[in-house]
Amino acid sequence: MSAPKPKKKPSEPQSHGWMAEYDCEHKLMEACRKVRDSGYTKTDAFLPFPVHGIDQALGIKPTVLPWFSLCAGALGTCTALTMQYFFNAVDYPYIISGKPFASWPAFIPVAFELTVLFAAFTTVFAMLGLNGLPKWSNPVFTNPRFDRATDDRFFLWIDAADKYFNSEKVRELLAETGAIEVDEVKDDHSSDIVPRKLIITILTGIAASLIPLMVVLNMRNSKSGGSRLHVFFDMDYQPKRKTQTPTAIFENNRVQQPPVPGTVAHGELDNADPYYLGYDPDAVSANVLESTTRLVSLQEGDQPAAATDAEPQRKWLEEFPEGVVSDEMFEIGKAKFEQNCAVCHGFSGYGDGLVAQRASNLAQGYWLPPTSLHDSKVAAQPVGQLYHTVVNGKGKMGGYGPSLNFEERWAVVLYVKALQRSQNAAEADVPEGVSVKVVTPPAETAPAKVGQPEAEPKSPEASTPIESEAPAPASESAKPEAETSAAETEVIRPEAQDPKVVVPEAPSKEAGDGAAKESAAEPVGSGSDS
Amino acid sequence: MAANIPNDNLNLPASWRGLSSVFMIAGLVCIMLAAGICMFSGDGFEKGWQIFCHSYLGNYMFCMSICLGALFFVMVQHLVRASWSASIRRIAELLAFTLPWWALLFIPILIAACSGNDWIYPWALGKGKDLGPLVEAKLNFLNPLWFTIRVAVYFAVWIFAARFYFNLSRQQDETGDSEITLKLQKFAGPLIMLFALSVNFGAFDIMMSTDPAWFSTIYGVYLFAASMLSFFAMMILSCFLLQREGRIEKMVNTEHFQDMSKFQFGFIVFWAYIAFSQFLLYWYGNIPEETTWYLHRSEGGWFYLGLVLIAFHFAIPFLGTMSRHIRRRKSVMAFWAGFILFVHWLDMTFLIMPFPTLDHAVNPFSWVMLAGNLVCGVGMLCIFLSLVLMRVGDIPLVAVKDPWLPEALAYEVGP
Repeated sequence: MSAPKPKKKPSEPQSHGWMAEYDCEHKLMEACRKVRDSGYTKTDAFLPFPVHGIDQALGIKPTVLPWFSLCAGALGTCTALTMQYFFNAVDYPYIISGKPFASWPAFIPVAFELTVLFAAFTTVFAMLGLNGLPKWSNPVFTNPRFDRATDDRFFLWIDAADKYFNSEKVRELLAETGAIEVDEVKDDHSSDIVPRKLIITILTGIAASLIPLMVVLNMRNSKSGGSRLHVFFDMDYQPKRKTQTPTAIFENNRVQQPPVPGTVAHGELDNADPYYLGYDPDAVSANVLESTTRLVSLQEGDQPAAATDAEPQRKWLEEFPEGVVSDEMFEIGKAKFEQNCAVCHGFSGYGDGLVAQRASNLAQGYWLPPTSLHDSKVAAQPVGQLYHTVVNGKGKMGGYGPSLNFEERWAVVLYVKALQRSQNAAEADVPEGVSVKVVTPPAETAPAKVGQPEAEPKSPEASTPIESEAPAPASESAKPEAETSAAETEVIRPEAQDPKVVVPEAPSKEAGDGAAKESAAEPVGSGSDS
Repeated sequence: MAANIPNDNLNLPASWRGLSSVFMIAGLVCIMLAAGICMFSGDGFEKGWQIFCHSYLGNYMFCMSICLGALFFVMVQHLVRASWSASIRRIAELLAFTLPWWALLFIPILIAACSGNDWIYPWALGKGKDLGPLVEAKLNFLNPLWFTIRVAVYFAVWIFAARFYFNLSRQQDETGDSEITLKLQKFAGPLIMLFALSVNFGAFDIMMSTDPAWFSTIYGVYLFAASMLSFFAMMILSCFLLQREGRIEKMVNTEHFQDMSKFQFGFIVFWAYIAFSQFLLYWYGNIPEETTWYLHRSEGGWFYLGLVLIAFHFAIPFLGTMSRHIRRRKSVMAFWAGFILFVHWLDMTFLIMPFPTLDHAVNPFSWVMLAGNLVCGVGMLCIFLSLVLMRVGDIPLVAVKDPWLPEALAYEVGP
């Protein structure tokens, strides 16, 4: 276990130095001065207690250690400041507390710490280095009298490494100083031998430090029937219920309670009010519960409950919410429609936007044309459903909820409804003072309106087009009844501004007229399909 | 024991004693002159008077803090049963025992606080003077009556402690009774606790409440650090000057100089540590009511005074007095001690002068500051010296029968 024993030299061991023993510190001090004055520098004194002035008596020069500390401290300061400047201002500039990247006040504490750290470590290790430590042993310990250096005797030492060292002269010098004993210490190699005790201590320490690791490894690779160790009991067993666990507090034994019907959680009005959703969420809850029950029954492997429609049957809003129908909203809706919808659906809503036209021209075969907003299916949709489509999209169309606020969404729906009505206007929709020229639709296309959707976007013949010949189709002049004023303005504007409306030549006054009159008060889109 | 005591001249030089009255007259003249400079060189009598009142307070604290440091030094030496300081403790006792007179010199400040004007303390205006909600809420604490009571308590504690340590030490000069030392040691603990509380709250009341909207819990420690630092500088300078006159030459040796210099060095660092601790938290928190104080001190030229303090109150003396070889050279240390006293004066100016209602045009380099405040400072320093010389009189400068004295004389710092 211990280091190999040094080879015994065949020759006589060299002198390591001379040691003089005194019985009081005054004699030692006297001897120190004498030795110093004789020119010896590699000397040392050993005393059981500190004596002032022994450094001067021995001629020991001040240590250079403070310079190590000073330089290391300065290095620590510079390291900390450079490091932080580089990290915070150059390499990874990151705003912290709104301070500048190079915020020097914040660097000071770290600079302080690193100064202390560098200085302290350097001082300790430089001290060890300057003293030639660690040194396992010193030949002076071979002298049994030296043990009293920690008790009641005072020793003076002259090292053989001194440049004036001469064994005989040193002995004579020391003998003259009133020493009670002068001994020569022979060189040995005890300092090369690592003490067995130290090795045992280190190995024991290493072995002991492995114990926790072993315990952990053992625990990770074995199974135990005993209860686990709860270091932090109140963290493992907190007085709270976790999700998906039962509880006896509530009647239904569930920890998570569904919202109370008819209530809205704070900040969740978006999920509760028809204005934000386009449908009445309370009316749909029964349906959702049904599908949930089915999912649960599927999961649990029971007989699955009867399948419901994939699309939940929502109760759409049939009427515009309060405040939506107005001239301002119409203008907003027009702007937003032309910004977001017209590229595909076209300015008049026939699904002939620029994107659609270009895709059709390319004829790649997989282009699904946009739906015409005048398609009977679309025209029949309640406003809530249109709103839902605007927000969430449908089929290939993406949702526009993120780019439109609630008001703008309803404005777009309003504009869509106006577009639809403009393309299917009845005579009654025409405001007073405006002469109407009714054109007869071609006979063969009239009944096929439902069957031909997007394929022919430019077929307004299916409906009953009208032509306004009013010199100034302003909405101000077209308000016969206050009740339907908004609806009537819708009739005129899109038509007046849409150059693509094709007006057939042949004028006649016929079918659809009566039906349109019946539904004059309500939007044309929903009425014409019935 | 007495055989170990060297024969030394322990009395104040006769030529110095006569200076006491000269200094007193010079001090009073300087302070009046400063009042004149402030009132007639500023824009307006009212504002000039306000500046002078603050200048008086700042310079008062500049000198008085040295005496507070001396009092703490005396007590802490007894508390830890220090032997090395026995030969220099008398000078600290004498410095501390000028505190009763400082209580007299506080009366002008008390008048300003009770006058109902904001000469020094804005809170003295009282309720309903548009001081802002932060100050309004503090008016139950900061009002003339309560302020007077508190200041009276602080001075009672300080004067009691200073008298106690001075008188018993003088008694020991006669009797050489070592029981007295034991008694002084026994009372050191409780008195230091009272001292800590009174200095802390004294700093809050006397100095911090010049900007009553602002608050800093470390302010008292800041004043304590400044006091100790300036006290050690004062000690070094006093010992040096006395030794130059051939006094206490053997009683105070190089080892004592080195130790006082070490303390001074330590308190340079401590002052910087406390000052920076206060600044860092407010800088980082960046909350309006906490940063106002620094705002007043970063506007105009006051910012540069702050930078000067960082350099001259910390960095330069820190590096300058770091070396053992410098600390053991009395004349060099005397220079550094004078330097420290000057930056302590700058520090007190920085604490008091940029008060909230101060005109922004009045920067530290303006005429009224350079002349008015400096002349006031010189006057206060003259009064301080006069008081100290008057206090010393023919009292020996070393506690000659202190049982620790032989040990103090044999004292030696390690290599």
